[in-house]
Amino acid sequence: MNKLLIPTLALTMAAGAAQAQDAVTLQLQWVTQSQFAGYYVALENGYYEEEGLDVTILPGGPDIAPPQVLAGGGADAMLNWMPSALAARERGLPVVNIAQPFVRSGLQLTCWKDSGIAEPADLAGHTVAHWFFGNEYPFMGWMNQLGIPVDGSEGGVTLLQAGFNVDPLLQRQADCISTMTYNEYWQIIDAGVSPDELVTFRYSDYGMDTLEDGIYVLEDNLNDPAFFDKMTRFVRASMKGWAWAAENPDDAAMIVLDYDETGAQTETHQKRMMGEIALLVAGGDGTLDEASYARTVRTLLEGGDAVITAEPAGAWTHAVTDAALAN
Amino acid sequence: MRVGVIPYWGLPALGVALIVWAALNDMRLALILGVWFGAWALNAWLSDRAHRRGARLVVPLIFGVTLLALWEMAVQLYDISFVILPAPSAIWARIVTETATLWADFQQTILKGALAGYAMGCGAAFLAALAVDRSPFLQRGLLPIGNFIAALPIVGTAPIFVMWFGFGWQSKSAVVVAMVFFPMLVNCVQGLKASDAMQRDLMRTYAASYPQTLIKLRLPTALPFIFNGLKICTTLALIGAIVAEFFGSPTVGMGFRIKIEMGRLAMDMVWAEIAVAALAGSLFYGIVALIERKTTFWHPSQRRG
Repeated sequence: MNKLLIPTLALTMAAGAAQAQDAVTLQLQWVTQSQFAGYYVALENGYYEEEGLDVTILPGGPDIAPPQVLAGGGADAMLNWMPSALAARERGLPVVNIAQPFVRSGLQLTCWKDSGIAEPADLAGHTVAHWFFGNEYPFMGWMNQLGIPVDGSEGGVTLLQAGFNVDPLLQRQADCISTMTYNEYWQIIDAGVSPDELVTFRYSDYGMDTLEDGIYVLEDNLNDPAFFDKMTRFVRASMKGWAWAAENPDDAAMIVLDYDETGAQTETHQKRMMGEIALLVAGGDGTLDEASYARTVRTLLEGGDAVITAEPAGAWTHAVTDAALAN
Repeated sequence: MRVGVIPYWGLPALGVALIVWAALNDMRLALILGVWFGAWALNAWLSDRAHRRGARLVVPLIFGVTLLALWEMAVQLYDISFVILPAPSAIWARIVTETATLWADFQQTILKGALAGYAMGCGAAFLAALAVDRSPFLQRGLLPIGNFIAALPIVGTAPIFVMWFGFGWQSKSAVVVAMVFFPMLVNCVQGLKASDAMQRDLMRTYAASYPQTLIKLRLPTALPFIFNGLKICTTLALIGAIVAEFFGSPTVGMGFRIKIEMGRLAMDMVWAEIAVAALAGSLFYGIVALIERKTTFWHPSQRRG
C-alpha cells in the first residue's frame, strides 16, 4: 500500500461509516496505465465519493475479455472497444454503451519507410503484423476498401498475428505493425528508431476508425432506476476525472503510477502516454457521437470478417450522459 | 469402506429424496437431477452385468451422453448466457459448419507444430539419454540443463522463439521441443538403467559388444519407461503448440483461432477448437499406448486378466 492510497482509503472508510455508499465495480480492458487516467483521477480526487460511490477498478490484461467479466457478474460496468462490445451484443450478451469518453481512435499502422511503403496502396506484397483479439477490424475494413487481399493470396498482404509488443517490426519479421499513438509507437521510438525512419497510417485518417474506450453496462441493469442513477453519477464523476486528467496530464500520470500494483510502468512512459491520451479525449463530454458510431458500424460491416453481420439495434443510449450532464 | 454400511436401498432413496426436495423448490433442478440419477441407476444396473462385453462398451458411452445431456439441459433450462457456456448443440453446429477452418487449424497446429516438435524433442532426448548413459560426466552436466529448460515458463519462451524462428509453425515446434525434452530424457535415462546387473553380466559372458547389449537387452527393458515418456509428452506437445500461438502466429492455427474467437466472444468456436484438441490429444495418446501394447507385450503392466 502506498502513501497516497492510505488517506484515500481512510477517507472512504470514514465516509462509508457516515453514509452507505453505492458500490460500483469497473472492469478495465488493459493493465493499469494512463489510458485509464480519468477513472483513477476520479477515484483519487474523491469525485466518486462526492457522488456517493464506492468504486473498485479492476485492471485487465491480455487474456481478460471484459464482456465475459460483465456477463459473469464480476463487474457493473466495463470499458471496451466498440467492435468487441458489438460482437458481444450480436452473440446474445446485451451490452449498451452509456458513455464514450474517447472521441478519437488511437489505433494506427506503423511501417518502415525503407520497405518502400509511402502510401496505403504500397502495402500490397508486404508483411503486416497486427493485433487480433478484436483490434484487427479497422485494418481488415481498410484493406477491403483498398481491394488488397489479406488471405495470403498473390499481390496481397501477408498477415501475422502479433503479440503485444513491437519486436516483429524491430526484428524486421514484418514491414508494418499495429501500434497505439499512446503506447507501442513510443516503444519503437524508445528502441532507438527515429520517427523519420517510420511511416504511420492512422485509421481515422482513412475513415476506418472504430470507437475505442467506451463505458458499457448490461441492458437489463439499466432498467433498474437505482442502477441507472448509480451509473449517472459514475459517468458524471468519471468525466470530471477525465477533464482534470486532460488539464493536468503529468499529475494524472503520477496518480496512475500510484495505483499500478504491478510496478511495471515508468514515469516517462506514463506521462507521455497521458499526453497522447489527452488528445483522444479532448472535446468530448462523454456523449456518444452518432456519426462516429455509424462509422464504427460501417467499418465492421465492410471488414468482410463476420464480426457483426447486421446493423445493431439499441447498442447505445444517451439517457445516462443526458442525465449526468443535466446538473 | 464406509459405503459398506449403507443399506442397498440407501442411495436410491437418497436420490429420490433429493429429487423431491428439488421439485418443491425448482422444477428445472429436479429435471436435471432426475436425468442424472436415472442414468446413474442405469449404469449401476448395467455394470453389475459388466462381464458381458456389450455392457463394458455401453457403460462409458451412457456416462458420456449423460454428461452432454446434463450440460445441454442446464444451459437451456437456466438460460445460461452464451458467453459463459454455450450448449453442446451450438458447439456441434459450429463444428459442422466450420469443418474446413478446423481442419486447417488442426493441420497447422497439430500436424506441423506439435508433431514436428514432438518428434524432434523426443528424438533428441532419446539420443541425449544414450549419451548420458555412457558418460557420468554428461549425466552430471546434461540432466541439470534439461531440468533448467523444462522449468522455463512457456509465456517467456514462446515470444522469444517467435523472434528467433519466425511466426510460422517452426517457433511452435521449438516451444514443444523445450517442453518435451526433459520428461523424455529423464524417462529414457531411467529406462536404460532398468536392466539388472545379472542380465548385463550374462551379456558380457556372451562377449556381447555395447551395441549388441543395447539393442538386445537394454533398449527392450527400457521400453516401458520410454513409452511412459512418450505418453506424457503427447499432451505436453499439444498444450505447447496451442498456447505458443497466443504469442504470435500466422492467421491460422488452433491457438490463434481460440484467441481471436475469444476476442469476438464466439464461444461456440472456442469450444469447437477445444473439442478438436481434446479428440486429437486422446487419439495421439491412444496411438502411442497402442504401439506400447504391441511392443512391450512381455511387460507385467500389459498383461490382461
